[in-house]
Order: sequence, then C-alpha cells, then structure tokens
Amino acid sequence: MAAIEARDLKKYYGATKAVDGISLTVEQGEVFGMLGPNGAGKTTTTEMIEGLRKPDAGSIHVLGHDVTRETAKVKNRIGVQLQTTALYPRLTVREVLDLFATFFPGEKRGTDELIDTMNLREKQNTLSKDLSGGQRQRLSVALALINKPDIVFFDEPTTGLDPQARRSMWETVRAIQKTGATVFLTTHYMEEAQLLCDRVAVVDAGKIIALDTPNALISQNFKEQAVEFDLKGEPPPEGTFRNLKGVTRPGVREGQHITIYTEETTLTLGGLTDLAEAGQIQFDDLHLRRATLEDVFLKLTGKRIRE
Amino acid sequence: MKAFFQLYLSNVKEFTRDRMAMFWTLAFPIVFILIFGIIFSGNNNPSYDIGLAVEDRGPIGAALGAVFGKVEVFKVTGGNRADLMAKFKKGDLSVVIVIPDGLTTALSGGQTAEVEVYYDASNQTTAQIVLTIVDKIVAGFDQQVTKRPTLLSVKPVKATASNLSSIDFLLPGILGMALMQLGLFGTAPALVQLREQQVLRRIGATPLSRTTLLASQVLHRLTIGVVQTALILIVGTLVFKLNVTGNILLLGGFVLMGALMFIAMGYLISGLAKTQESVVGISQFINFPMMFFSGLFIPVDIMPNWIRPLVLAMPLTYLADALRQVMVGANPVHSLATDFAVVALWLVVCAVLAVRFFRWE
Repeated sequence: MAAIEARDLKKYYGATKAVDGISLTVEQGEVFGMLGPNGAGKTTTTEMIEGLRKPDAGSIHVLGHDVTRETAKVKNRIGVQLQTTALYPRLTVREVLDLFATFFPGEKRGTDELIDTMNLREKQNTLSKDLSGGQRQRLSVALALINKPDIVFFDEPTTGLDPQARRSMWETVRAIQKTGATVFLTTHYMEEAQLLCDRVAVVDAGKIIALDTPNALISQNFKEQAVEFDLKGEPPPEGTFRNLKGVTRPGVREGQHITIYTEETTLTLGGLTDLAEAGQIQFDDLHLRRATLEDVFLKLTGKRIRE
Repeated sequence: MKAFFQLYLSNVKEFTRDRMAMFWTLAFPIVFILIFGIIFSGNNNPSYDIGLAVEDRGPIGAALGAVFGKVEVFKVTGGNRADLMAKFKKGDLSVVIVIPDGLTTALSGGQTAEVEVYYDASNQTTAQIVLTIVDKIVAGFDQQVTKRPTLLSVKPVKATASNLSSIDFLLPGILGMALMQLGLFGTAPALVQLREQQVLRRIGATPLSRTTLLASQVLHRLTIGVVQTALILIVGTLVFKLNVTGNILLLGGFVLMGALMFIAMGYLISGLAKTQESVVGISQFINFPMMFFSGLFIPVDIMPNWIRPLVLAMPLTYLADALRQVMVGANPVHSLATDFAVVALWLVVCAVLAVRFFRWE
C-alpha cells in the first residue's frame, strides 16, 4: 500500500489556480520532496494531503484511507511539522508538548523522550517565545512526532536557519526515515531536495513539471557540466559562447553572469581562455560544476527557483 | 474533555503570563468605572448659574425677583441687563432672567406682562430644566397676583424604595457597555486574529475537533469577561458606594448571557469581514450606535420618535434594562422575561451564524 496516493488534485481560489491537476504516489519509507518556488502550490497540496484543506477536485488516499472521508483516522497517523512562529509564546517547551499530547487518542511518545530526542533538555522550561530559530524548529519537529506517526510532513523545514541548524535538521529528517516512517517535505532549496530526497516532484504554477530521483532528473536533462563566470565589460557578439567547442545548448545569461553547458569541459575551458587571450572577453570568478536541480528547473521553466 | 481543559488552561496561562495584556485588560474596566463614576457622581446636587436683572421699579418685580433667589438649584447673580448679557455671552451664566420695567404698573392695571428669559439653545438639557422651573415659578406667582384659588395641584411622591444615587442607575448601563466592548473588541485585534488562525492551522492538523478548540477559546474570553465584570462591581461598591440590591445569581446569569452574546457577535463579525482591517470598522459601526441608542446614558424620551424602533431593536437596551432591574431594582422598561428572551434570542442567532461563517482555513 502506498503511503500517499494523490490523483489529479485541484484547488482554485477564484481565478487563481493554486493547484492545477497534481498527481503523485509516495511509497512507504521513502523521503519524498516537493521542490518549487514560493506560490507554486506546494503548501496547498501538502495541506490537502494532511486533511487541512478540501480539494476542489481529485482524490487523496493516505495509508489507504480517503482523506476527505476519514479525516480523523488520517490525522491520527500523520505528524505535521509547521513553521509555527508564535503559537503559544508564553508556554514552556514542556507545556506545549504536554498540551499537544492531549490531542491524540492513541499511543504516544512521552514528553521526556521527545525532549531528549530533539535535544531540548536544557530548554525544557523556557518559554517558546524565548527559543532560538533552530530550537523552535526542533520543538515543531517534536510536536510532529508525538503520536508516533507513519508519515511526517515537513513544511520548508530549514527556511531561516543558519547553516549549522540546517545540517542538524537534515540529520533529523534522516533519523526519522531510519525509524521506518515516510517523510514528505516541501522546500525551495534545491540542495536540500537533492541531498535528502529519494524522489523529488518539481512544481511550478500548480503543476508537477517533473518527478523522479534527483540524479535521474539531472542526468535526463543534463549530460553536461555547467561552466559559470562573471563577464567584465562588453559582452561578445551573439553566439560566441554557443560556438565554443563542447558547448551543447544555449547558455543562460543573467546580467553579467553567464552559465554555459558543455559535454567537453576541457575543450570549452580552452576555448574560453583563447577568447580571453585574444582580448575578446574578460571574465572573473570562473567555476565548474555538475548540473543541479536548479539547472533542471531553469531549463524546464526558464526561471530560477529563488528569485 | 481533557484536551478542552488543557486548551483552556493554556489560554489562561498565556494570558496571565503576559503582563501587558493583563494590565490593559484588567485596568480597562477599572478606568471605565472610575471615569463614569466621577462624571455622574456629581449630579446629585446640580446648580444653575442664573443672571437676574430687575428693571421693574415696583414692588411686584422685586417680590418676583426674591422668589427666584430662593430657588435651591439657582445660583443667582444680580445686576443690570447689559452686564449680565455680557456674562451670559461669555458662558459664565446659563440663563438670564429679565423682569422688565413697567411690570408692576401693567399687572396692577389688569394688563399682561412678560418675564424675559434668555437661554442658550445649544445647551438643551440645561435650558429645558431652567425654563421649566422659571415657568412654574411665574405660574405660581401669577396665581398669587391674580388671586385665583388653587383647586388642582401636584404632589410629588418619591416611589423608589431604597436610597439610590445616580451611579446606581447608571452602573448597570456601564456594565452592559463594558460587556459589549469586551465581546466586540476582544476578538478584533489583528494580532489576536493572526495568532488564532495559526493555532487553528496547526491544531487543525491533529485529530482534535475544531469545535473543542473554538469552545475553549470562547470559554477563555468569557472568563475574562466575568473577571472584568467582577472588577467593575467591586470598584463600584468600594469607591462609589454602589448598592447592589438584587439577586447575585440572576445577575451572574444575565452577565454570562450578555457576554456570550457579544462574544458571538464579535466572532460573527470576524467571520464575515473581508479584510482584517474592516473587522474593527464594522465593530465600531455597531458599538457606537448601540452605546447611544440603548438608553444607557441618554434617556430615550428626549430622542425623536423615529429613533424608538431602533432602540427597541438593540439587544443592549434589553440587557441594560435587565441589569438595572436585577442590580438596583429599577422600574422595568420591559419585563425581565422579555429581556431574557430577547438577549437569549440574539445570543442563539449570533452563535449559530458565527459558527456557520467561521473561517477555519
């Protein structure tokens, strides 16, 4: 049985098509991600799967239960990590956990166990408004784990976190997967999707534009590597870069920043240095990298994930 | 049930740990009643500044002037017309009475004469009262002069049993008003709404029933309302020697009903309003007319007739009437049963509509 089975989900707000026909299947035990810019429909889709919003069309089954008909059953089996900035600002960590525990009828993890798992022992009696960003995220994860859920939903889990807190959160997600739970996360960070997810659905404007493992997505769209640099001074004539040896497709220009894709990196680099020596171009900050999901997104939609 | 109480307790903790919120919420009723108490406690012995110009040179004019001087509520300043009119224009005198020259001569000869009374049309309340008194005095004097026998007269009999001051009559209205402010504006502030929406969203992802959540929030607001009511009554009793003669349970019942009704109204407004900003606007739109047209502070009788239906439509009219009857034994405008029925009806309708239009998403 699939953990999540969504068929042709639609949600409209007046004329706006927030979700316009999204279908996906999430297998039990996998880490599944929805990657896309803000406003792509990730949060709305997630809320429909969680039973928070009613879809205008389509069906969703979570662990075999129809979400619209057996909402309470579904809510008993899932855990939701939401960015809650100030839910109960003047309750302590312990108090919030104890409060939420009363919402679940079945088997639960104890408050102490959660506090230790999420490394909040030092802060257990601190008011939630006095927690740091990372601590608050850990608390919101703890809240999601109270009822020993089979599926845990993460909503943009590392937004606003410093690098260390981010890495810590990534480890938490992996640890949760190791317990056998399924993870469904939404994000607009491509490295996050690439690092954490077994499979990624790339979304834009309410539709899924690609769905596969991160590697498959990249290699399907890019056999090449990306060469990036900043142009200085006047750009050379149109097509100069396209004509370099090894370049396979039109590159991308954003202001002075150029990205070109090549299957023969050495040849292309050689071509670039030749141009520079001939005085035709000047560049700065040259680097080489593998194509990423960001490039996939750029190719498929013509936009970057993060404006 | 456990979740309900835990939610309620959590709201209480949130509130009691927020010093600023507590201060303003609890200071509000105290300031409220202090202000009104001060304003209305002085009215027990009103006095009016009257200017009296006796231009008549005969004995009747002088006698009439002396009578005016003996009126308890008049503080009479004598003088000539010009000086007194100047003082009147400056606002030092509310009314100027002129007993014109030739009054004695006219009356002795069986002719008519008139006493001139200059009053400020913009101060209707004072004008009405003074003119009535002057009229009575002149009529009485007229009778003496013409020596008509008094066959019919008025005997005022004080009907209310206990020794009540004006604050006693006003306090129930003040209480009603406080309950209204609480219900309408307790829900309104954007920050409160935002937080409650976030809470709804997060808790909505759990199996907890939304009704339970809403009910705990309502109970929390109600608790605050009751505490504020108690404060008003305590301060009223201690500082202004308020006399609550009625049944405490009955009073409590009406307070709870009234509070719930206004809380439901507040939620209804939040649910119907298109934007957050308009919530306060709509609430004020309801708040102000109700304050003035429920007969709390301004007697309904002085208002034009076409206003009466509006007054009868306001739930606060009935709540205040009930509170007055229960708290101080005032003469009922409507029967207590009517008051109860109307408030209960408003409560049920508002509550049903509030739930119907509540925005869960």
